Amino acid sequence: MTELIARRARVTAFYLCLVILAVIFSGPLGWLILTSLKAPNELSVFPVQLLPSVPQWHNYIDAITFIDFLGYARNSLILSTLSAVLTTISSAWMAYGFARLSAPGKKFWFGLLISTMMMPGIITLIPTYLMFAKAGLVDTYVPWILWGLSGAAFMIFLFRQFFTGIPKELEEAAILDGCGHVRIFWQIFLPQSGPMLAACMVLTFTAAWGDFIAPSLLLSSDRTTLAVAMTAGYVNEKGFPVQNLLAAGSTLFILPVLMMFLFFQRFFVQGFSTSGLK
Amino acid sequence: MTATLTEASRESSPGTARPRAKRGRAGTRPRTFYLFVGPWIAGFLLLTVFPLGYAFWMSLTNTDGLSPNWSYVGIDNYVRVFQDQQTIASLGRTMIFMLATVPTGVAAGLAMAVMLNRDFRGRALFRALFYLPAVVPGVAAALTFKIIFDKNAGFANAAIGAAGGEPVSWLADPYVRMVLIFMILWGVGGSMIVSLAALQDVPRELLEAAKVDGAGPVHSFFRITLPLLSPIIFFQVVTGVIGSLQVFVPSLLLAPVNGAAAVTAVPEGNYLFMVHVYAEYFAKSHFGYASALLWVLFIFVLLITAIVFKIGNRAVFYGGVDPSERKD
Repeated sequence: MTELIARRARVTAFYLCLVILAVIFSGPLGWLILTSLKAPNELSVFPVQLLPSVPQWHNYIDAITFIDFLGYARNSLILSTLSAVLTTISSAWMAYGFARLSAPGKKFWFGLLISTMMMPGIITLIPTYLMFAKAGLVDTYVPWILWGLSGAAFMIFLFRQFFTGIPKELEEAAILDGCGHVRIFWQIFLPQSGPMLAACMVLTFTAAWGDFIAPSLLLSSDRTTLAVAMTAGYVNEKGFPVQNLLAAGSTLFILPVLMMFLFFQRFFVQGFSTSGLK
Repeated sequence: MTATLTEASRESSPGTARPRAKRGRAGTRPRTFYLFVGPWIAGFLLLTVFPLGYAFWMSLTNTDGLSPNWSYVGIDNYVRVFQDQQTIASLGRTMIFMLATVPTGVAAGLAMAVMLNRDFRGRALFRALFYLPAVVPGVAAALTFKIIFDKNAGFANAAIGAAGGEPVSWLADPYVRMVLIFMILWGVGGSMIVSLAALQDVPRELLEAAKVDGAGPVHSFFRITLPLLSPIIFFQVVTGVIGSLQVFVPSLLLAPVNGAAAVTAVPEGNYLFMVHVYAEYFAKSHFGYASALLWVLFIFVLLITAIVFKIGNRAVFYGGVDPSERKD
């Protein structure tokens, strides 16, 4: 009997912890949405009003017209897709080399890869920007293409870990049959890494979609991405932020990322832990 | 590391010949390896080595990036780094920021992962809710936190007001550094998901065997799970430490002014090292000096990485091998 009560208490405490954490983690987005539905006169009253008296859904339409929201969203979409596809495929390609092939100097290059993963990308970003500026590549997508083609150290590392976990039995037969490494990569390794590919695509897409600093340095104000336009666009003639429209715009800006995340969610946990032969 | 030597190198060094570890691995030509890894090497040279070299060259000059009148100043810029009070103060703030975010973030992520690694109703929902903030782009997170901590319309002051307190200027000194820390820790779900993935790789038989032997859950967590998780925890700490050195966009976005002028308006509490570098480049056009600051940070990161790896090699269980029993 007492055991049963103790068990009940433990379960209740466990769920209580979960609920408190859930409120903490989803609270900020909840407040963002509440703010996005408020009328202007509900924003600066004290004590602060929690709920909008009448939800102002038209704030969302206003947010899209207040700045050229769709134009910037298109720029973001092009840039992020380009970046995600190139980075994912090239990272997997290079990871295969590190996971399955050998050559003199491999240890050196892998060590380098690990150390660039550790290195703040921001250190090279400013000089890289100055280099692109000198080469006349500012305001083009060429920098993103180059970044994509050369892969991302972290993704290469993750793919390499994942590939190392793929049992060798899978490709040994192929090697005995005289199958080359390029084919092994495309026909055995890539199909095996569906969750990993999805995770990498989603992560690179969201990183590019949310990136602020590279587009703000490299793109002019009308070719820039939504992330940059968001931060500066929603101000009134006096230069003060229009909080409710800013909140509505931010919600719309987060939405695609959120949807991708919900759709691919199950891949995230699986992606890092599955391997073949199960 | 397992021996993966090619035939050629095996023959050329008979003294160190080791048994071939796996069938079908040897005999690969180096050309194939470089076919695969080549694009990364090219990118590394063009997008990392070259910019770093360019920055190093600038750091030896007094260039402002535009004017053709510049000259070499030797190591003057580096000498100035250690005399500049702003540099030293910003580095100190960065250290405090790191201590406030990295250990808490990794520990909280692991604790949440352990909670979610059990079977219970609603697990997927809670996992999604905890992880959600980590996928929110930094720009949106900053805007959200600016709205929450807004002096007039924010939730923080609403709560304080409801409790009868006076409104606080959260986005100014001295509070703004707390807002930055909250904002970073809000994304702890990223760390949670990595730890959770690692937890699911812990062999269940091992834990069951421990249970049969009479070990309690706490005991088997510290004696089995934690050692097996140490590579992933170690990885998170290293990337966290180095990541916190480069934080400057959140500082910029939390500043009261937006756009290009933001860097000059960052409150002192959030004036971290990289904010200082950015300000020296783009607000003051001290390209030479700012490049020297970048190089100092670069060396600093290399040192930290070296030290951390040295420690990690002694304390981390790679592939389930106790570090004290490892031979290489």
